Amino acid sequence: MKRQVPLLITLVVGTVLILSVFFPPAERLGEDFSIFFDIIAVFAFFLGGGNLVRIHGNRLYKKNKDWAFSLVTLLGFFIMLIAGLFKLGNPGGISADVAASGSLFQMLYDWIFNPLGATMYALLAFYVASASYRAFRAKNREATILLIAAFIILLGRTPLGVYATSWIPESFSLLQIPNLAIWIMTSPNLAGQRAIMIGIALGVISMSLRLILGVERTYLGVDNE
Amino acid sequence: MQIFGIWVAAFLTLGIISFLYKDNPWYKVCESIFVGISAGYWFVTLFFDNILGLFWRGITAPDPNYMLLVGATLGVMMLLRLVPSIGWISRWPLAFVVGATAGFYLINYFSSNVMLQVQSTLMPLLGSRFGQPVFSASLYDTIGNIVIAGGTFTGLVYFFFSKEHKGAFGGAARIGIWTIMITFGASFGYTVMSRMSLLIGRMEFIFGDWLGLIR
Amino acid sequence: MTDKPTISPCLKVISASFIFLFFNIFNQTLFSQNPLQSNQSAPIYIPAPPTNVRAQDFKYDRGEAVEVRWELSADDTGSNFITGYEIYRAGEKSDSFILVGFVAPKNKLLIDKNVERGKYYRFKVAASYDGRLSYSEISNAVTPEMDIINWNLLNLFLVGLIVAGAVIYFIAHAKRGKKLFIRKIAGLEAIDEAIGRATEMGRPILFIPGISDMDDVQTIAGITLLGRVAKVVADYDIKINMPVSRSLVMTTARETIKEAYLGAGRPDAYNDDMVRYVTDEQFGYVAAVDGIMVREKPATCFYLGAFFAESLILAETGNSIGAIQIAGTAQPAQLPFFVVACDYTLIGEELFAASAYLSNEPKQLGSLKGQDVGKFLAMIVIIIGVVSATVSHAWGGEFFIKLSEYMQRIFTIQN
Repeated sequence: MKRQVPLLITLVVGTVLILSVFFPPAERLGEDFSIFFDIIAVFAFFLGGGNLVRIHGNRLYKKNKDWAFSLVTLLGFFIMLIAGLFKLGNPGGISADVAASGSLFQMLYDWIFNPLGATMYALLAFYVASASYRAFRAKNREATILLIAAFIILLGRTPLGVYATSWIPESFSLLQIPNLAIWIMTSPNLAGQRAIMIGIALGVISMSLRLILGVERTYLGVDNE
Repeated sequence: MQIFGIWVAAFLTLGIISFLYKDNPWYKVCESIFVGISAGYWFVTLFFDNILGLFWRGITAPDPNYMLLVGATLGVMMLLRLVPSIGWISRWPLAFVVGATAGFYLINYFSSNVMLQVQSTLMPLLGSRFGQPVFSASLYDTIGNIVIAGGTFTGLVYFFFSKEHKGAFGGAARIGIWTIMITFGASFGYTVMSRMSLLIGRMEFIFGDWLGLIR
Repeated sequence: MTDKPTISPCLKVISASFIFLFFNIFNQTLFSQNPLQSNQSAPIYIPAPPTNVRAQDFKYDRGEAVEVRWELSADDTGSNFITGYEIYRAGEKSDSFILVGFVAPKNKLLIDKNVERGKYYRFKVAASYDGRLSYSEISNAVTPEMDIINWNLLNLFLVGLIVAGAVIYFIAHAKRGKKLFIRKIAGLEAIDEAIGRATEMGRPILFIPGISDMDDVQTIAGITLLGRVAKVVADYDIKINMPVSRSLVMTTARETIKEAYLGAGRPDAYNDDMVRYVTDEQFGYVAAVDGIMVREKPATCFYLGAFFAESLILAETGNSIGAIQIAGTAQPAQLPFFVVACDYTLIGEELFAASAYLSNEPKQLGSLKGQDVGKFLAMIVIIIGVVSATVSHAWGGEFFIKLSEYMQRIFTIQN
């Protein structure tokens, strides 16, 4: 029962969702199941949030290494939670939108959440530079091809790329970097993308069928046969 | 108040950037704040959007949707994980989610990634118009079409699992991986500029809004 | 009682004439462009109405849409003589029409999706120009109905049946003892070596299952791989660290790792804190994982699941601590970053095949064979389709034209 019922649920739900695409009366099931998932995710959040509080609370209680930072985490979590759930400082009161302008929740979002997220995102500029440096040390043929394609596309989007090959006559205009960049994006890039996407789709089909038929059960903490 | 907010944002921005040098207490504080604040933010958002917005309003509407009770039941089953003796029940909503995901993705990926992509690849290699002589074909279109069709074909050859990459098959697979590497290089080169613009945005905040050096 | 004062009839006529004259001049002064001009005004242009308006039930749906078609207005010649068409709807016996849509000139179709199954509707269409409308005749009455089967998707069903059928066939007919050849996938061959390195160095393993929830098939693929990796980790008795971004993933991962330790005969070595929830926020999670990486310095990092912009941050941080990195994702946009920054990358399909590959079980390996059949069919279709399209476009030939159209039709999904 503990093992068979979940496998049966996966089989039935998966099969129903596949067939619902072809039978209009069952079409709405997909939307309903998506809503069920959203609700399950919120309930699961109690487990996740509880785990967050337990781990940091434990560290704080036992004064383990970096306990002070755990205090900061817990303070941030509870302040945001209380500010949002009780709509503190909300001009419209308890019945207004939680993210109303002027509310403490929105202020924390604007001054803390947003800048932190935007800065982490901005770090990508540095990391892409270091990744490019590593890519320039092309160690094999495939890496060299990747490097050359990246270089052409990068140059093709800058004025330097336009200037560098502007001397090439019109009859060989494809060899001008911006034109070459466009051709690479519309031809070999498109071909590779298609092959990858078709492969991914077939992989998804195979994986989904293994899950639905119960051949793959690792996610349930059950040994595969 | 606005100025206080800008100073806080600048403090946090520089703290995150300091990680590029090395891990330090300033970054740790910013990281801890980010984790706590964001976890709280998402809990509040999920609560108001899903529990109150979706579930409660759906149940208490003039025309109630009682199917939502199924979702709530599954959610409660999830929480039974905290009771060791009946924790195994929490596998049922998990099985539901996995089954739904598998069914949904199977059909969606098949129609968009197989049917649509194969259909788009079925094109004439010689870029001539119907009824016109082959000599009127544009060389640019012809080479492009050959590369697209050939690249897609050889890319699929590369992903074959059950045949060794030897001989002619291996040669085709090699062309396939070269095509895929061009794809990766193109993607990489294409996103470099957009990543730079993200940094420009933060620098504008630091030097403009905070320090007032840029107007 | 006094008499009411009377006005003589003559005075009435004169007064009325003055009032009429005054009103006429007043009107002309306000509303005519040239009040000194004569009373003759230029004819106001009104476009010709659309004709032959007909409504029919939108096929193969839940009975919630109606197709309205019409013939273009005679003035819709592309010279801006009309600005578009307004479509109105009313119930069967009602004359109260409401506006339900607007389309640009040269369009002859609107699909109205705000109707209810079983009710009767009628439509009319107006050609509009500068606010002036010219209405068509009212259409036939139509009742949207629900169809049981969506026959538009018959091609999708049949092709899907062939591909899925191949996978199911090979799963079902996989025989024990019969060795199925599967080519080497470098990233998967390196897992044992990577975990062995962590054992030698006495440093933990870091496993990141992506930042999506369990409603993403890539996450499920990552978790199934976690099961394989956790078995080796349990055997080698090293620490696995798994910060996650979703609560449901945390729950699933714990079940998976617990089972792996149970299977290895080491249930006491398992600890729930191996898997911990961080935050749902993408960059908050990455900030925390970066911190974990530089402080705990794992020897091996696995990135297996759905990743987005944070992929490069994780991979570069992993590089900075000298870890072996094995990545796998089906996000085409993130693959280049993993390829550049990681030691081994599972490209798209290889992520989904990985679990079957590592299991070495006949049924699982059989599914890989089924996948290959799907690829083979796609390749055959591409050859036939491209050849027929090339021949038909360059040299004609009825057979090739029909074959090319047929191939296109099979793979076109109609809504």
